[in-house]
Amino acid sequence: MRLSWLELNDFRSYVRLLWTPHPDVNVLVGRNASGKTNLLEAVGYLASLRSFRKVPDGVLVRTGADRAVVRGELAGEGTSTLIEVETPAAGRRRAQVNRERLGRISDLLGVVRSITFLPDDLDLVKRGPAYRRDMLDAAAVQIWPAAHRDQQEYERSLRQRNSLLKQMGNRADRVSLQVWDDRLAHAGGLLMARRAAVVRAVEERTGAFYRELSGDSTRVVIDYRSTWGAEAAGDPAGWQAALGDALAAARQADLDRRLSTVGPHRDDVVLLLGGRDSRIRASQGEQRSLALALRLATHRAVEESVGAAPLLLLDDVFSELDAHRSAALSRILPDAQTFVTTARSEDVPLRGRRWELSGGELR
Amino acid sequence: MPGGRAAKPVIIGRVYLLATLMSRMFEPPVQRLIDELTRLPGIGRKSAQRLAFHLLNVEEDEARSLARAIVDMREQTSYCSRCYNVTSGSECSICLDPRRDPDVVCVVERAQDIAVVERTREFRGRYHVLGGALSPIDGIGPAQLRIEELRRRTLDESLTELIIATNPTIEGDTTAMYLARRFKPLGVTVTRPASGLPVGGDMDYADEITLGRALTGRREL
Repeated sequence: MRLSWLELNDFRSYVRLLWTPHPDVNVLVGRNASGKTNLLEAVGYLASLRSFRKVPDGVLVRTGADRAVVRGELAGEGTSTLIEVETPAAGRRRAQVNRERLGRISDLLGVVRSITFLPDDLDLVKRGPAYRRDMLDAAAVQIWPAAHRDQQEYERSLRQRNSLLKQMGNRADRVSLQVWDDRLAHAGGLLMARRAAVVRAVEERTGAFYRELSGDSTRVVIDYRSTWGAEAAGDPAGWQAALGDALAAARQADLDRRLSTVGPHRDDVVLLLGGRDSRIRASQGEQRSLALALRLATHRAVEESVGAAPLLLLDDVFSELDAHRSAALSRILPDAQTFVTTARSEDVPLRGRRWELSGGELR
Repeated sequence: MPGGRAAKPVIIGRVYLLATLMSRMFEPPVQRLIDELTRLPGIGRKSAQRLAFHLLNVEEDEARSLARAIVDMREQTSYCSRCYNVTSGSECSICLDPRRDPDVVCVVERAQDIAVVERTREFRGRYHVLGGALSPIDGIGPAQLRIEELRRRTLDESLTELIIATNPTIEGDTTAMYLARRFKPLGVTVTRPASGLPVGGDMDYADEITLGRALTGRREL
């Protein structure tokens, strides 16, 4: 999948930009605040209708303008998809795919795929389990678009069950609780089975990429574990049964504590480097390499599963790597259309088209 | 400021501020109607203004007729004592119809859902309006729905089948599961309409959720 062209109107710092990126590697070079990451963000926004900076849509509109318009065309094997998004400063965004109105964001899933690596991705390794759960869930959606619906169903059912527990505590209607348990077990089982499948798909490659980057022979293990005791249960039905049993066993504790104490929302994904928990026992450099290896492994897993390479977006990744790691990264980058930002051109040992950014213009 | 009311705090930005200023520019009787209309579902400030000025410009009889229709509807209707459909008597026309099958009841969330099922002309039983779906977030549990009333009907009227036609949302589906658990022990058959492909449409146009359900609920030919 390649982005053939991109047009920005009043997006972030851009008044207007028409850009035809190179089909392979694009290195965006510019000083701080020259709009490199804004351009990368626009590519990501077109592909996912969400900002990878996790900001509300209104922030994407250039100051003083009333709407931003991002358009672009993505070419795949013999297919071409025109995506147009109009984002008002206040109100609902409208998107069109091949000139047809897009009903739900989720309808774009499975049409365009992209993998992004940001400096903040260090959080995947360094911070709490929620970051790693989200990473697995996001990867699952790239591979199986239907996973999005199951994740939403799980979250909604969990909120409903927690509301019931919070309001009623031990007076909660038992039949109601049981049907919410059934929903939770159903959607949660699918969620867990998919997380486990993503772990299987990326674990080995993450190790291989990590060893390339670090230059040593450290073993990487991705340990998806339930703090509430569910063991790897194989197919979705197995996970659903395990979660159903766990919910039943936790019933009294949940009624007393007025919240849901078991389920995939409480799982952790432990990343082990040579047997050590990377969250607390790895250096910053090791953590960065591991986060990068995870993203690259996900890119490869998605490509293998869907048969087309997702776009690869790398924000300011090279500046934090030493010479060895930079060289290793340029060796292992996938054959995909890639967008790399950097403040210093010499930091990026990649062949490909270099674009100079200054004053909202690309050269 | 005209109308003598304090402006609402500006939360959303310039557009909202402008609307707030403009909304206070009318004579009090006009403003009052606009305010009332804005409280209706699906009616924003602009639509409310358009409707209000439309009513200002039509023949006086037409406006009076609309006002009377609203008042009459409220004064002359109530809920059916059996199924909670809207009726102008004590029971609704469907419950009173001797040709309807008294053993089968279709359970819907809202009274307006009855019209949807009726249009199919496939259902010849009676109805029961729950008044919503289970949603603890909104404070709606079994006690807030007409479930106890349904239980009494099931026993008193010796119902043989309940067709649960709640919305295919998480809450509607969960309500259906809840009703199945509560009512099957009473010896009544509990069914749910199948979700399927739109008739006369292309497979291309079915969203993956509907298609997924249609596949799960497939039947042998």
